[in-house]
Amino acid sequence: MPDISVGLNCPTCGGAISIAEGENAVNCPYCSSVLFVEGDQGVTTIAFKNKVARDSAMTSTQSWWRRGLKARDLPKTGKVIETYPIYLPFWRTSTRVAGWICGYEERRHTDQKGNVKVERIPKESMVLQDYSYSEIACDPGDLGIRSLRNLVGESSFADFEMIPTFEATTSKDDAVVHAKTDAVSKARSSARVPHVTFERLHVFPRALTMIYYPVWVVRYNYRDRMYMDTVDGITGQVLSGRAPGDPLFQSLAVTGGSSLGGLIAAGSIIYGSSADDWRIGLAGLAVGLVVLFLAYRFFRHGSERIEGEFKDKKATMAQTLKQVQGVAKQLEGLR
Amino acid sequence: MASVKCPKCAAPVPFDTEVKFVKCPYCNSQVYLDRTGAGLYYALPYMVQENDAVGTFRRWAAGSTKAKDLDKLAQIAGVKRQYFPVYMFKRDVNGVEQVLIETAGSTTLPGLHNLKVPAGDLKMFDASFDVKGAELIKPDIEMMAYMNNLPGKPKEQALVYFPIWKLDYVFNQKKYDVVVDGSSGEVFSSEFPTRSSNAYIAVAVVGFFAFVGEGLLATSSLAIAAGLMAATVIGIFAAALYVARRM
Repeated sequence: MPDISVGLNCPTCGGAISIAEGENAVNCPYCSSVLFVEGDQGVTTIAFKNKVARDSAMTSTQSWWRRGLKARDLPKTGKVIETYPIYLPFWRTSTRVAGWICGYEERRHTDQKGNVKVERIPKESMVLQDYSYSEIACDPGDLGIRSLRNLVGESSFADFEMIPTFEATTSKDDAVVHAKTDAVSKARSSARVPHVTFERLHVFPRALTMIYYPVWVVRYNYRDRMYMDTVDGITGQVLSGRAPGDPLFQSLAVTGGSSLGGLIAAGSIIYGSSADDWRIGLAGLAVGLVVLFLAYRFFRHGSERIEGEFKDKKATMAQTLKQVQGVAKQLEGLR
Repeated sequence: MASVKCPKCAAPVPFDTEVKFVKCPYCNSQVYLDRTGAGLYYALPYMVQENDAVGTFRRWAAGSTKAKDLDKLAQIAGVKRQYFPVYMFKRDVNGVEQVLIETAGSTTLPGLHNLKVPAGDLKMFDASFDVKGAELIKPDIEMMAYMNNLPGKPKEQALVYFPIWKLDYVFNQKKYDVVVDGSSGEVFSSEFPTRSSNAYIAVAVVGFFAFVGEGLLATSSLAIAAGLMAATVIGIFAAALYVARRM
């Protein structure tokens, strides 16, 4: 093993000092000077205390089984195989965005004769806001967690030795870049300027913290299949999970979706032909198809219910959104 | 457990993976671990046992895109426990930290398109680490081969062994394989028997257009349309239930 150890001396008196993991201020025991410790280039590390007992993690899981269109026999048939706590690492940042966004909003007015007048309302909006952002600092694997919802907890390294700790394997500077992008896009949408003509935003990363967050992993069995979910170790809520679906709910969804979608389409076609405006009929048909499409998605893929930020769930959600946006754009073009 | 030499008293100081500071058990002085010049060996312990791995495979196989009843019909031909190596380099490139993951060998995992260090509790990989009978895939590319070509200055570099379950299964006389990450339970697969969406699409589309037609009919004869709609609801529901259960 090459030499990787470095002794720590007090810069004032040269005496040996001791620092515990996670601390950032220390008193020299010899000359009692106060020393500030800057670890990995200013990253402070904190760990939250695990407040949830094994039993309550199991209880949360079991009540989660009863919600959200999961298999009806899951509370009876599902059997928890193992429950264990882990510490997950997160980068947590606070980013300040300051600046101005200028532009305009367009409003359409139609008078009795059917003339369309477009009104332009100029807008300028000041942005001064702190945004907090968190992202997991390791590969999320199949845990379905990518960011923190709760950021409050009792800081303590007491359980650190007992609970398996997942190590941070992503770059802190990548996290800062993601935080900046996130803060700018949030600032932009908070300004509510639909057509931007001028924008000057300054982004200041203010703090970067590494948070070790306690999470319970629950693995359970249902008809020889192994499912899992995760429970927040502070709030006790289910964060993410996979669960079996039920063919009954899938069938109900497609029956409801096709009937509702079909009737919306038929209704607007009838209304459109009586009002002598084919565009109403077309718009109704599009809305009906969107309803049908959403119901179909559930019918096709509802045999597994996925909650949380899983890779395979993200794909379907993004596709759905894109599809709906595409339809909406076409409607916009028709108007 | 791995150890370093105490810079004050030269005694061996044991240390764990995540720590930056350790205390020398002999002279009590605090030691900072500087990993920039060392090549470390890490490994992730198994958190998913064999039964759980098979169960996870069955859950994955019951997914909506996999062939119907693949979870029940797939014949598992073999379950292998392996440790798969990757290199992890932490570099300082002009003051910006970069993490680079590189392949450590010529063997690849099916379905793992982007190399990564899976989520897990990194442990020092040394003589005391228990691989629990897993086959160790040896890296056949040297760490040094990368070191000279990577950008920036080294911060840390390690060979990381991560645990996998390799399952071979047979479905319709065809062999497939799938990898279950032994740490977080993620499933990787490049090829699997798929399920057709046709029956699902047919039910949804037939239902939709039947209702459009019946809705239009309702303007001329409401009673007939209502009767037809009731029949369609029952028909679509029955067909949907059959498709969701069997196809």
